Amino acid sequence: MDEMETRLARCFSSVFPELTAEQIPSASMDSVPAWDSLAAVTLVAVLQEEFGLQIDLIDLPELVSFVAVQNYVRKHKAVS
Amino acid sequence: MNLVEALEIFKQALPEDAHPLRTFLACGFTPLHLQTFLAAHLRKRLPKQRVEVKTGLFGDLAGSIERLQTSECDILAVVIEWQDLDPRLGIRSLGGWRTTDLPDILKSANQAAARLDQALRRTSEFMPVCICLPTLPLPPLFTTPTRQAGDYELQLRQLVASFAASISSGSSIRVLNAQRLDELSPAQARLDVQSDLMAGFPYKLPHASAIAELLAALIQNPTPKKGLITDLDNTLWAGILGEVGTDGISWDLDQHAHMHGLYQQFLGSLASAGVLIAIASKNDPALVEKAFERKDLILPKESVYPFEVHWSRKSESVQRILKTWNIGPEAVVFIDDSPMEVAEVKAAFPETECIVFPTNDYQGIWNLLKRMRDLFGKSVISEEDSIRLKSIRGAGVLRESLDATGGSFDDFLQSADASIRFTFGKQAADNRAFELINKTNQFNLNGKRLTDAAWKTYLNDPATFVMAASYEDKFGPLGKIAVLLGRIQGKSLRIDSWVMSCRAFSRRIEHQSLKQLFEKFDAEEIGFDYQPTPRNGPLQEFFTELLGSPLTADMRLSRAAFSEKSPSLFHRVEEAVNG
Repeated sequence: MDEMETRLARCFSSVFPELTAEQIPSASMDSVPAWDSLAAVTLVAVLQEEFGLQIDLIDLPELVSFVAVQNYVRKHKAVS
Repeated sequence: MNLVEALEIFKQALPEDAHPLRTFLACGFTPLHLQTFLAAHLRKRLPKQRVEVKTGLFGDLAGSIERLQTSECDILAVVIEWQDLDPRLGIRSLGGWRTTDLPDILKSANQAAARLDQALRRTSEFMPVCICLPTLPLPPLFTTPTRQAGDYELQLRQLVASFAASISSGSSIRVLNAQRLDELSPAQARLDVQSDLMAGFPYKLPHASAIAELLAALIQNPTPKKGLITDLDNTLWAGILGEVGTDGISWDLDQHAHMHGLYQQFLGSLASAGVLIAIASKNDPALVEKAFERKDLILPKESVYPFEVHWSRKSESVQRILKTWNIGPEAVVFIDDSPMEVAEVKAAFPETECIVFPTNDYQGIWNLLKRMRDLFGKSVISEEDSIRLKSIRGAGVLRESLDATGGSFDDFLQSADASIRFTFGKQAADNRAFELINKTNQFNLNGKRLTDAAWKTYLNDPATFVMAASYEDKFGPLGKIAVLLGRIQGKSLRIDSWVMSCRAFSRRIEHQSLKQLFEKFDAEEIGFDYQPTPRNGPLQEFFTELLGSPLTADMRLSRAAFSEKSPSLFHRVEEAVNG
């Protein structure tokens, strides 16, 4: 797990405290019951804080899993 | 606090016996991160309580408050924004910003404020209410350029200010200070337009955290400090008295010593609000006495008691002052310009707040005054606050008189010309009774504290009674010094709580209180919900002497046993229903 992935896992752990470290990499909206629209907004706010990103809420529908979020952050961190 | 830190706080384990604190957060927008931050800040301030923050229906602030079931929560936190007064004052509504709309916006804002006023007052009868007034910028709907305040804008701000002034007169309603929030959260960094439009949450995260932080402090409402012990040279005044003499010390603009004048003025303000002020100075006592004769001194000598002026250690002075005041070291603040003296006192009294006076640092002294207002500030100044110093001086005179007479204690009490006024009113606004229950340690039946909500529930219970005692003798009034909470069970009484201020010891007020209870309720027996605490030794001594047996959790005292054991009582007794 690289540094970015570790930080991302910490964000997920804050928003979804019920997830174990092993469950986080495969987490998705379908597999995590607590991942509702409010949790999604909270996750975006936490990501913005952690990575200093400005995430447009229009992109919210893309961010449906740990892997999707990871790709999104990698892409936008690279741009910024 | 950022959002991750707030979320992480909830992962910390709670003590098993954590009491719940049920807070209802009422706001017109999606509470989202504000709810998280409020719960986190409360948890941080109250780590031994099980904090719950519930919310109501979004978009209907007044309705949420009106529908609130008082049994569901202990405290109400209300966050009002402009759109709660009229949706057109927010950015999610497209109801119109034409010039012709402005009178109607103002009219509906007035109606909304009146409805909120009514709902909040009603709720405050059952629980404490903490309110945050609008914090976001008004949208650019007025006709004036943004640099100029328009007529309607000013009228809206006046409406909110009038609403706040009116509502804060209620003893259970606390309004968040906008000036303090301005310091924590800059005005231009509050509104998150995108979040407001897309998620219904209008705040940037730091602003949400700042509001939550202050609301949590309002909810916690920490017990204020009771006394301040200050140094003299280069603290209360500029200059070393022993070197420059009484005419050489200063506290005015001409001598560039005005900050010391402000400090004196501030201490005068504290003293007038019932805070005890004492001097601990390594100095020549005769010189200090002469200095306090200066007519231009802003802090009058009468506001200070006692004076500890000698060349011994400051910690010894503090020890004697605490004994005179009869309060614990955790309840006082010590201020001295010497870091060494501050360190010496701190080492002797780790619980005491010890502060180095920042001589010659204008901004530092300004910040000190603000910090002290936070340490000593209280919502309501009671009659007892205004007579506290007088009664402590009186207690000193009483001790000296007792030593001087050499006669019996009975003779002394008989000559004290004491009167006790017992009141039996159950008034929610009796802040003094509530305060006594929550801060008295030594004469305290069980050490149990009451939340505002529990206090109001107790008062609303028809089976309970509240007896308060006010005392006065020839040495001066002590004010309301004892409170007893109980319930009537036929010919028996059950006492749930009994506290008496330490200032009132050695006057047999506790005996007279029991006598009054037996007579008032024609009771044959009184049961006590007793629990030992690390600090209620004086109460334990009283009961051990009275009962003549080891104390138990459900100890009882019969009328006959009391009559047999009670010493002679010399007070004049008055009784009142309210007061």
